[in-house]
Order: sequence, then C-alpha cells, then structure tokens
Amino acid sequence: MGAGAALFDYDNDGDLDVFLVQSGTLEPGSKPGASGGRLFRNDLEKQKLRFTDVTEKSRILANRYGMGAAVGDINNDGWPDLYLTNLGSNQMYLNKGDGTFEDVTKSTASDDPRWSTAASFFDYDRDGWLDLLVVNYAEFSVTNSPNCYAPTSARDYCTPRVFRAPGNRLFHNRRDGTFEDVTTAAGVDKEFGHGLGAIAADFDDDGWIDIYIANDGDPNQLWINQKNSTFKNDALLAGAAVNRDGKTEAGMGVDAGDFDASGTDDIFVTHLMEETNTLFTNVGAAVFEDRTREAGLGMPGRRFTGFGTLFFDYDNDGWLDLLVVNGAVQLLPELIRKGDPFPLGQPNQLFRNTGNGRFVEVVEQAGPSFQLLEVSRGAAFADVDNDGDTDVLVTNNNGPARLLLNQLGSRNHWLGLRIVGKNRRDMLGAGVDVVIRKNQILRRRVRADGSYLSSNDPRVLVGLGSTTQVEAVRVRWPDGNLTEFKAPPVDRYTTIKQ
Amino acid sequence: MKPALCFFCLLCVSVICTAQAITWPDLSQLEPDVRDQIKSQQDILISTIKDTQSTTAKLSAAYGAMGEIYHAYSLTAPARECYLNANTLAPKDFRWIYLLAKLDQLEGRVEDAIRRYRTVTSLQPELVAAFVNLGNIYLELDRLEDARANYATALQKDANSPAAHYGLGQVALSQREYAEAVDHFEKALTLAPDANRIHYALAMAYRGLRNPEKAKLHLAQQGPVGVRVADPLMDRLVQLVEGARVHLIRGKLALEAKRYEEAAAEFRKAIEARPDSVPAHVNLGAALTQLRDLKGAAEEFSKAIAIDPNNANAHYNLAVLLANEKQHQQAIVHLQAVSRINPTDVGAQVFLAQQLLHAKRPDEALKLAQSLYSTTRSLQHGALVGSALAELGRCGEAAEWQRKLIARAVEEHNDELQVKLTTDLQRYESCRP
Repeated sequence: MGAGAALFDYDNDGDLDVFLVQSGTLEPGSKPGASGGRLFRNDLEKQKLRFTDVTEKSRILANRYGMGAAVGDINNDGWPDLYLTNLGSNQMYLNKGDGTFEDVTKSTASDDPRWSTAASFFDYDRDGWLDLLVVNYAEFSVTNSPNCYAPTSARDYCTPRVFRAPGNRLFHNRRDGTFEDVTTAAGVDKEFGHGLGAIAADFDDDGWIDIYIANDGDPNQLWINQKNSTFKNDALLAGAAVNRDGKTEAGMGVDAGDFDASGTDDIFVTHLMEETNTLFTNVGAAVFEDRTREAGLGMPGRRFTGFGTLFFDYDNDGWLDLLVVNGAVQLLPELIRKGDPFPLGQPNQLFRNTGNGRFVEVVEQAGPSFQLLEVSRGAAFADVDNDGDTDVLVTNNNGPARLLLNQLGSRNHWLGLRIVGKNRRDMLGAGVDVVIRKNQILRRRVRADGSYLSSNDPRVLVGLGSTTQVEAVRVRWPDGNLTEFKAPPVDRYTTIKQ
Repeated sequence: MKPALCFFCLLCVSVICTAQAITWPDLSQLEPDVRDQIKSQQDILISTIKDTQSTTAKLSAAYGAMGEIYHAYSLTAPARECYLNANTLAPKDFRWIYLLAKLDQLEGRVEDAIRRYRTVTSLQPELVAAFVNLGNIYLELDRLEDARANYATALQKDANSPAAHYGLGQVALSQREYAEAVDHFEKALTLAPDANRIHYALAMAYRGLRNPEKAKLHLAQQGPVGVRVADPLMDRLVQLVEGARVHLIRGKLALEAKRYEEAAAEFRKAIEARPDSVPAHVNLGAALTQLRDLKGAAEEFSKAIAIDPNNANAHYNLAVLLANEKQHQQAIVHLQAVSRINPTDVGAQVFLAQQLLHAKRPDEALKLAQSLYSTTRSLQHGALVGSALAELGRCGEAAEWQRKLIARAVEEHNDELQVKLTTDLQRYESCRP
C-alpha cells in the first residue's frame, strides 16, 4: 500500500529536505517498519545536491508500519511540523527549530490508532491555525486477514471491500498546542469509505476550504465547507463521486489544480489498471464533469495502476501537466511468467498539457527512468535544487526511492513565490492569482497535500513560458482577505508576507 | 513455468506448419478444481496435436477451446497464444478473432482491437456485441462520430439493445446534448431495468438540463449494476468456469444486484465445490438473511465459525440475527469474539454495548461505553454511557451526563442528536426505564 514521502524545509535554510516513510513486511510475528522512516537534510550548494541522513540527530523515531507524511506548522512558530500516518497509531512531530523534533502525539491529542493513509493540514475555520484531516483506509489487522484470490483462482492480495471502512477524522487546532477531535461535530463522520487520497482546496470558490477524499472502491467524497465549522458531502450530485459511467473506482492518489485555466480547481484521481485515471473538470461552483476521455487520459490510464500524481508544470509553459506513478496491486501474469520475484512493476507516466483541454503522454521526453518497471507509490513534488522547475521524488515498494531532477523547466521563465503569514508559516490554502496581463491569469494555490501519502513543496512555482514580466500577484489569504502585489520579479523566488 | 513442449515443435514442422509454439502456464497455485479442468483441456489439445489424423478444423477448435478455458480464468497470455493459433488455422472463424479483440481491448491494445472487431463485423455482421464494443472503444478514444455510427449500426441489428442506447446516451452526454442523452438513457433503462447504474448517467443528464429534482431522484436509485451487451461468446466463457471461487464471485455480483435467489444458488455451488469455504458460507448466510430464511442464515454463519473461529464477519452477522431474535446473551458472545479478533472495530463495540444493555448487564455496558467514549469522543457513544448509568439506577448521574452531551450537541449544531438526547434526558430525570 505505502509508503509516501515528504519534501519540506525542516531547517528553514531555503532548500527542501526529504523524509522517506517506510512500511516493511507485514506477517504474523514480524516487526513492521523495523527499518524506520529516514530524514535527509538537503545540503544544497550552488544548485549541487547532497543529502545527509540526520534521522538520529532529528530524534524522529518512525519505526512503525509507515504509510504517509503531512507537513504543516501547527503552532505558528515558523517551523514546519511533521505528521506521520501509520498502520496503527500515528505520530505528530513538533519541529523544535534546532534540527530536532519532539513526539507530541499524546500531548496534542492528534493520534488516530486505525489504519491511516493520507493527511492534510488546512485552516477550515479561518482562525489562522492549521487543522488536520486524517484519512483512514480499512478495519484491518494481521489476525483478521482472510484468504483472497485472483481471477485465476490463485492466492492474491485482498481488495479493500473485504474489510470495513473505518471513517476519517478531523482535528481542530485549539491554538494551545492541542487538537480537538471534531469529526462528528463537523459532520464528516456521516459517510464512510476506504480512503487513500485527500486534498483540501476551495472547490466552490467561496473563500472557504473544502475537502476531497479519494476512496478505494467506494464513492469519493466532496466535503463542502458550510462556513460554520461543518461540512456536507455533495460529491454525488456534484459529479465527482464516481466516474461518468456511475462506477465507483479504486481511488488512490488525488490532486486538484486549474489545468484548463478556467479559474477553478479541477480534480484528478488515479486508479487501478483496467479503470481510467479520472479527470473531473470543475465547470464552476464545484459542479464537476468527468472529462477524462475528452482530455485524452482514458486509454493511457487503463494499462497501469496509478498512485502518486500531481498537476505541475514540468516544462514551465504555463499549463499544468500531470505525472502519474504506477505499480500494480495484484500480481501481473506477464511478470510472473518472466520469473519476476516481485511481479507488480509498471512504468510511470508523464502527460503534457497541450493547452486545449487535452494531455498527451510524453514518454520520450521524460527520460530513461520512465522506462523502468517499478512498484511506485508515493510521489512528492518540489524544486529540490532551487533552479526554478519542479522535481519529483518517487517512492517504490521493495525498491529504492528515486529523485527525478527536472532538466527542462528552467529553460522557460518562471515565478517562484513563498506565501507566508506573520510568523513565517507557509499559508497553506492561500489562493494565488498570477496576472500576467489583463485576461491572462494563472490560478494556483499554496499547498503541501495531494498526490499519494506525500507532502509537497509549499512554494508556488508558476511557469511563464517566454513571458519575462508579470503584472501582479493577487493573494487570497485563508482568512478571506485579498492583497495585490505589483510586478514581482521573475526567475527567482520571492517571499510574500501577510 | 514450463517451456513449450518439444514434441509440439516437431509436429509443427511435420503437420501444421502455421501454428506457433505455445507456453504452458504454471497451474500449481490454482484451485484444484480449476487446475484439473485446465489440465484435462490441455490433454485434449495435446492428443489432438499428436493425432496425425487431426484435421486443421479440429486442431483449430482444440486451440480455441484451450484459449477459452485460459481466458475464462484470466490467464490471458496463454489464451492469446491459443487463439492466435486457432485463428491461423481457421482464419474465417470469427470466434477467435472476436475473443482476441476482447483481450486486446482488455489490455489496452486499442488499434489491434479495432482492427479485429472490424474483421468480425465483416465475417459475422449480425454479432451486435462487436459493434457495441467498437462503439465503446471509439467513445473512450473520444472519437464520438465513430462511436455513434457503431452504436447506431448495433441498433439497426437489434433495436432493443440497451447497451447501444446507453452508448448513444454517453455520446450525447459528451457533447452536452442533454435532452438526447436523457432519451437514450431512458430507453436503455426501460430495456434493462436492473441496470441501476443508468440512473447515474440519467442524473448527470438531468443536471445538465438544470433539473436538479429529477437528477436527485435518479441519484437515489443509482447502483452498481451496469448495462450488459448480449455477448454469446463471452457468456460461454462464464459458463466454462468451475470452482468455488468463481461461484463466489458470481454470487457476490448477484448479491450486489439484489438477486438474492441467484446469489444463494451460486454460493451453494461454491460450497459444493469447496465445503470448507468460509466466504461461501458467510455470503450464503447473507443471501439467506435477505431472503428471510433466518434459520438457514444462522446455520451458515455457524458453519463458517466452526471452520474458522476467527472470522469476524460470521460472528458479527450471527450476532445481528441473534439480536433480532432477542437472544441477547448469545449475541454478546459473538460480538465479544468480534472485538477480540478485531479490537479496533468500533461498530462492533457499540453494538456490544447495546446488547449488554438489552441483556441487563449495565455495569459491563457502562465500562465499555466509557472506554469507547474516551477514545472516540463521539456523542452517540456518550449517549450509551447515559443509558448505562440510567439502567444502573444512577439517574442523577445519567441526567447530569446527558446535559453535558446536549450542550455539546448544541455547540456542534447536531440538531438530530440533540432531540434524541433531550428525550432520553426526560426519562433519566424521572428515572423511568
């Protein structure tokens, strides 16, 4: 199932460090996750990358069966904190600002002892403090694991439907170093699903952050923020719960972004092979249409099982592209026939946005790593070498993580923004409109969530193509205020403070 | 994995020069019934190959039959090899081309699938399924006019094809021709009323027509059963399948479609094939529950537990039946088993607490409810604490507890629960049961 990764600047030195989540084997009597998650410090110098394993020094002890990672500054001290989801109790690590972390799971009351997968920090009540959504997958334990079979009748991995869906959890930040479980109060316990992906974004463009949850085999949920600390799931009528055929699909990774420059956030969800990865186009006010096949994403997705994914502009041409990392969940007969001891490997895929509502798969341009057959799961996105384009960290089951450095994007112009609050906290959820010129506005948002079990660069990197000037940047702060900044410099990162 | 048999290569040279060597899949991991069935078909194929009197037609049929068995069990790579040989030996036999096209479609070999379906439509123009499949592929490729043409041809061949109407509805929906989409979806639904997934498509079409009431009406009826095209060749594959697992899958599909009699029949066949199949017993129990054969259902859950005492679903389902029969003490035994097997199953623990209350064991119910509430902080679980306190005669404490919960419910705008809690509070205040 797992695991993901986080790209975050834990030491506030201006470059993105790496946390790799580890799962492990899961058999009766085995010690899951014995190898433990690892933190690597990025010692970037003159765009030359070097990573140092600082796990022990950081005091992060992530030796459980790890699933995912979420990053957010829970105490507004300007230092990003780390939340780890596990099969079993989760872990909240408070960044002390001196290179070390403290396990504050208990004192913050932010644990969920079930099988947690995705997590997302966002400020749903506009009080200036990050709340936390934790998504759970299945009521599973090693002792209640039944035998499951492939269509051939051979033993195989079980589908999630074998296990009951546990429900998700929403924690409200009490601003005193603790969280309150408001799952019931917020109404998000009214629907269940085998959740794997989560994204927080303002889908109906009303200035309040909503939640979208991708479920594996159950209808996805679109929790619309009712502006009174409650949410209402409106996914079915909104057209974002199931595919256009009315079928529930095996939702894994998810992302939201304005791929068609219409001014609204669209949704992309990755799925099992023989299903499509599905593109839900937001036609306004959180009304979605499944336009997967119109976008050219239908057939290419059927061949593989997709996990991590993100809308990102790999070539900095101003249009959000898509990357999907793949790896099967049920044994692949053709690899079994070849004697592959881990017959689940599939290649990853890069799709270029052609700017007319369509995507084309670009295997040749993507590089040799896209020819590999690996069991990819997480994908974290960030400009790791600060050269103005988005790089990707891919995690693989039973294989090494791979850091894919983008060698293309920096050939075009770009705008890099770090949007922070008064305490230098990344303002997750802030909307950013980049006004290139009148009637040409690129809409982005500050976020770290999305993809699959991973945490991404909170900075906003906007491709400008050949454009060398930007008229203005408008920031819609999570508290509802709007600020405009004139003519920000291009081809460099600029920090915008509230 | 065994390589192609050597004698076959020799025969290939001397008798059938066009057939290619095939690989023999590893069957060791398959269910014994399935393995035996495949092996016996392999034996037939081998003897047909060895028989120097075998005609080309006979050999083609043997390869085709072998391919069908593989295909039925999703052994697609060896199925393809066999179909290719069958097709080479009998190029005018549309069956093998059609089944190859199905494999192409499944594996995303779109151009091959189109080419083969087209060949099928020229060899067997009355096979509606080929036109519908072509339409589906074109639809997926967003080649809407090609899709429309093939669905239309399918309707010319069979005016009552729900799959063709559904496809045309999807084409219209893609083009945002909502009224036309409604028309086709309504026709499809009339022809295939069990296909409740059509309701979703109808809902989206009505939404497009800005008729949210009708959209909601259809969303309330939508379900998992899709439209099927009449497909004799694929139906034949389904009939070939034997073994417990396959009946189990068919039974589950029937259960999802609320065809309970059919589901029960499939689960019984699964038990016949494998008497110790726990899922078959559990699912048969579920189907019988729906058919109101509660005695039979309880027997099936008990059999499942006898085979696997750690099957939480069997324990839980049996507990539900027992609870409905007001046999609370016995229900408790099974719910305690569920909690032991799966300690994180909150739903089972809530149910257990309720049964403890029914069984007049409020002290245990209180302890469990308090533990649940401390973990979940859920108001519903808090209400159980109040009930247990009242049941213990600690009405004052129950009322005080209830008032706190009501305050929280008000704070959280949980009107529905607030009403229930208030009703219970009145009972606690007057210390009525």
